[in-house]
Amino acid sequence: MRDLIRLLRLYAPYRRWIAGGIALGLVTVLANFGLLALSGWFLASAGVVGLAGIAAQNSFNFFTPAAGVRFFATVRVVARYAGRLVDHEATFRLLAGLRTDLYARLEPLAPLGLAADRGGDLLGRLVADVDRLGDFFLGVVAPFSVAAIGSVLMALVFAAFVPLGGVVLLAGLVAAGVALPLISIRLGRRPSGDAVALQSAMRADLIDSVQGMAELLTYNAAPAMQARVEGASAALAARQGRLATIAGIGSGGNVLIANVTMAAMLVIGGRLVVAGRLAGPDLALLVLGALAAFEAVAPLAGAFQALGGMRDSARRVFEIMDRPVPVCDPACSPARPAALGLVLAGVRLRYPGQAGWALDGLDLALAPGERLTVLGRSGAGKTSLVNVLLRFAAYQAGSVTLGGVALRDIRGDDARSLFTLVSQQTQIFAGSVRDNLLIADPQADDAALWDALAIAQLADFVRAQPDGLETLVGEAGVRLSGGEARRLTLARAALRDTPFLILDEPTEGLDPLTEAAVRAAIAAIGVGRSVITITHRLAGIAEEDRVVVLAAGRVIEDGRFGALKRAGGAVTRLAALHDRLARI
Amino acid sequence: MARDIDRRLVAAGRGARRGLTAAIALGFAAGLAVIGQAFVLARIVSALVFRHVTLGAVRDDLIALGVVFLVRAGLSFGAEVAAHRAAAAVKLSLRRLLLDHVFALGPHYAAGERSADLAATALEGIEALEPYLARYLPQMALVALVPLAVLAAVLRFDWISALVLVVSGPIIPLFMVFIGYRAEAINQRQWRQLLVMSAHFLDAVQGITTLKLFGRAREEIALIGRISDDYRRVTMAGLRVAFLTSAALEFFASLSIALVAVLFGARLIHGDIAFFPAFFVLLLVPAFFQPLRGLATHYHARMNALAAARRLFDVLDTAPMVRWGEAPVPAGAVSIGVAGLVVAYGPGPAVLRGIDCVFPAGSLTAIVGRSGAGKSSLAAALLGFVAPASGGVVVNGEPLDTLDRAAWWRCLAYVPQAPRLFAGSIADNLRLARPDATVPAMLAALARAGLRDVVMALPGGLDARIGDGGAGLSGGQVQRLALARAFLKDAPVLILDEATAHLDLETEAELTSAIGDLVRGRTAIVIAHRLATVRHADRILVLDAGRIVESGTHAALLARGGVYAGLIGAGSVDAAVSCAI
Repeated sequence: MRDLIRLLRLYAPYRRWIAGGIALGLVTVLANFGLLALSGWFLASAGVVGLAGIAAQNSFNFFTPAAGVRFFATVRVVARYAGRLVDHEATFRLLAGLRTDLYARLEPLAPLGLAADRGGDLLGRLVADVDRLGDFFLGVVAPFSVAAIGSVLMALVFAAFVPLGGVVLLAGLVAAGVALPLISIRLGRRPSGDAVALQSAMRADLIDSVQGMAELLTYNAAPAMQARVEGASAALAARQGRLATIAGIGSGGNVLIANVTMAAMLVIGGRLVVAGRLAGPDLALLVLGALAAFEAVAPLAGAFQALGGMRDSARRVFEIMDRPVPVCDPACSPARPAALGLVLAGVRLRYPGQAGWALDGLDLALAPGERLTVLGRSGAGKTSLVNVLLRFAAYQAGSVTLGGVALRDIRGDDARSLFTLVSQQTQIFAGSVRDNLLIADPQADDAALWDALAIAQLADFVRAQPDGLETLVGEAGVRLSGGEARRLTLARAALRDTPFLILDEPTEGLDPLTEAAVRAAIAAIGVGRSVITITHRLAGIAEEDRVVVLAAGRVIEDGRFGALKRAGGAVTRLAALHDRLARI
Repeated sequence: MARDIDRRLVAAGRGARRGLTAAIALGFAAGLAVIGQAFVLARIVSALVFRHVTLGAVRDDLIALGVVFLVRAGLSFGAEVAAHRAAAAVKLSLRRLLLDHVFALGPHYAAGERSADLAATALEGIEALEPYLARYLPQMALVALVPLAVLAAVLRFDWISALVLVVSGPIIPLFMVFIGYRAEAINQRQWRQLLVMSAHFLDAVQGITTLKLFGRAREEIALIGRISDDYRRVTMAGLRVAFLTSAALEFFASLSIALVAVLFGARLIHGDIAFFPAFFVLLLVPAFFQPLRGLATHYHARMNALAAARRLFDVLDTAPMVRWGEAPVPAGAVSIGVAGLVVAYGPGPAVLRGIDCVFPAGSLTAIVGRSGAGKSSLAAALLGFVAPASGGVVVNGEPLDTLDRAAWWRCLAYVPQAPRLFAGSIADNLRLARPDATVPAMLAALARAGLRDVVMALPGGLDARIGDGGAGLSGGQVQRLALARAFLKDAPVLILDEATAHLDLETEAELTSAIGDLVRGRTAIVIAHRLATVRHADRILVLDAGRIVESGTHAALLARGGVYAGLIGAGSVDAAVSCAI
């Protein structure tokens, strides 16, 4: 509930739109109520007058109620049309606001603050949650507001004629709009919970089926898998059948409550008419009005249903919005030093919620323009080193300086403007080749783009495409091969003239000829920069290259590759393993 | 188009037609009950107001009213349940049909980009049919039936009101079609734009780290705001037209009530007509428009369902290419021949352009070549996943397409480049290869793949859950688990697509020896990325652009100084055939 109130507060800037939407919704419902109630009263009055003779006929004001009927009819149409426009306008504004708010909150968290607890597509789910919350007004706030205000107003109108009638109408509306949906949800909790679990199990099996089809087929296990999916499908249908029964009870109950309320009016009003304490035409008004009134609460069943999902979405979104920011930025950065030597001394880094140190007293110095290869098994601290340099993670002890300035004193964006990172995780955006390149340098002209593509050895490929730079790369670059995608990220790197270049497994998973092309591209891009290459392979390292070996978050060897190979340490052992593999 | 899809959908579920008919019949009966209720109600009100009788005098009518209420509630319940039954039958059988068909189409069709879409179609796509089948379709029939019944009842009492309804009733669908065509086009465009908009946001969120690296994340916030705003403006312009459809419906419905009321009022004043028919007809007017209103609320369900159904039928209408027979695999050691094999996907150039080779029983053949040379297609043809355009595969003298497919797959083990771990335990994943495998047999297979100690260290050992939502295994461990599956299956033929992922050197060494052990004594065909594999191969086939350009042993091919020697010598040796030179 607290999450929903907080969500409402997010909606504060749009309160005028929201108020407008609710007001128009209310007018729509009340106009329908007025139309039917007045029509009933009008007919009955006209009937009474018709029987009463000429004098009464002449004194009866025909035009006011007739005009009233036409008025309500017109108002209803206009209010409904305008209401839908305002509702949607409000929804789109809300959604846009939510998205920009969320993005602004996510930006300082990325990437470490956005790590999922255990696998799963955290960001995809987040986006789906925000889309759902965009409907909070249209699906929840508006129906509840209109129903609540409308019900009270209509009950007051009834009470003006017959006090008991007002009470009964309100009771009927509450029963149909609140009690019935809540009972339905309560009854449906078990089967709908089961249905969600079954669907997610079935989704896992279906994805296994399509992605693991070759293995399932060759192990002749496809029939078993199909039987499993079919079983889940039947079990799901059974739960849905139970839910349909509950829904049937709900819709039947709705019909019954509305009609019983109307019949109660008939009995209450009928007694008073017989006793002469209520005019006959007023009875017609009460009967028809009671039927029309239930339009106000009809959307509540859906709104209650949506409410549960909204609550979960709001909780998930706020959980992420409330995560602590991993790195605090200073207000401004010092002037950029002339020479950018990098020195790490005794750096210790521990991630929040982790027991062990990811970096445990790391010492490393890199002169401007120097090249360095970092070796180590996974978990040795290679990625943490990158996270520290890019100001994605805050270290707890030691110091990192760039040209004598503490890295801590530099704003994250300014620090990152000194580095270019090429890794497999670099995202390719849906859009054109040009869009993807301009991310690196929005001001680059075509000549610069082609130069960058040429350095990345991708120019021939792009030139061969009918659309050239405008070639669409597909979602996450699916229309490119692995090598093309990698070279596109390299072309981006070539566009950015930063003093540091960090290459994280730059040739991972590429086929041999592509790898050769990518290596050539990397050599071209690295000219004149400090280059840090992270790898767990010895291929392509020259004897005189400087190599650093990380283990358990600290540097265990640092020197020329050739010398380390003969030093009898980790590099020696790796090189021996390497040779043994080559001889098998 | 939509009608065609309706027919196919309804035809798909056994009993679906009956269920739908029942739902429509119950809905129609409910419509008749509404007329009955109006009749009784009008009698009571007219008696109370005009004949000044006591409630006791209308007791019978009040009881009748109560009965009608119960009948209506019962019919409403019954219609809901019947419609669901019909939809459930369709969904169940379509899901079965789809999965059957996808398995028949094979991994070449299902894997890759399309896989997520196929899974979504089988789950959410088929679920999206429910509101359409259970609500929209019956409502569609009721739109034709109920207003006619109401009209007949009205006509019986007052032809003027009937005329009002006759004029405004049919005009509504006409008017809605008139605006609707445009509205639907706009709606579809909006729908697509909405998807584009959501996709852009998702893209930006998923790439937030990349944008941050390039210092562009803050600009992106403004961009998202601007795009959302543009989208809102365009969409609202469209919606102004689209909402006219429902406004038209509302207009005619409200206007008819007002018109009927005013026309009756004028006649009642002059005593030209009695109150009972007037009130009865007034009660019926909303019922006349009710089905159309119901239809409008399920409009989006229809769009979603039709889009899903189109995707579904696209898959079902794709004919499987591969043919199989019923012959058993000839007994004895298996040797495989390939003659004049041409494989083409779609209208493009063939990926295999005339392959002739023999994989002798018990020998190790390595296939090398750069990516796109046709290595995977050759493996797919041997596995029977793709149909040759010409030529074919022969197993011990028997053409592959005459064999029983289960029998062929029984005598081979296939290890793909990226092996799949299935949701379940390690034991479940191993038993895939041999459902009756004992624990010692599984442990032995794990030991040969060099994974036994790792598995024993996991909480639960063989019963540790892996795959979706389970413990993560490293890339090297997944590879070894796949090898363990192949060890357990112990089939005479092994088709192995080596991983290109670079594992660390320790893992690499373990994998290499496990593969060496696995190929021994089998007809082994390995798409090789490791030097150790090609060195030990009895023969190496070098593929280039869909042809075998060289073949021979490692030493012979190196001496020859051709394509193979080029691959090895290009400085990219280790990536070409091993990560360990």
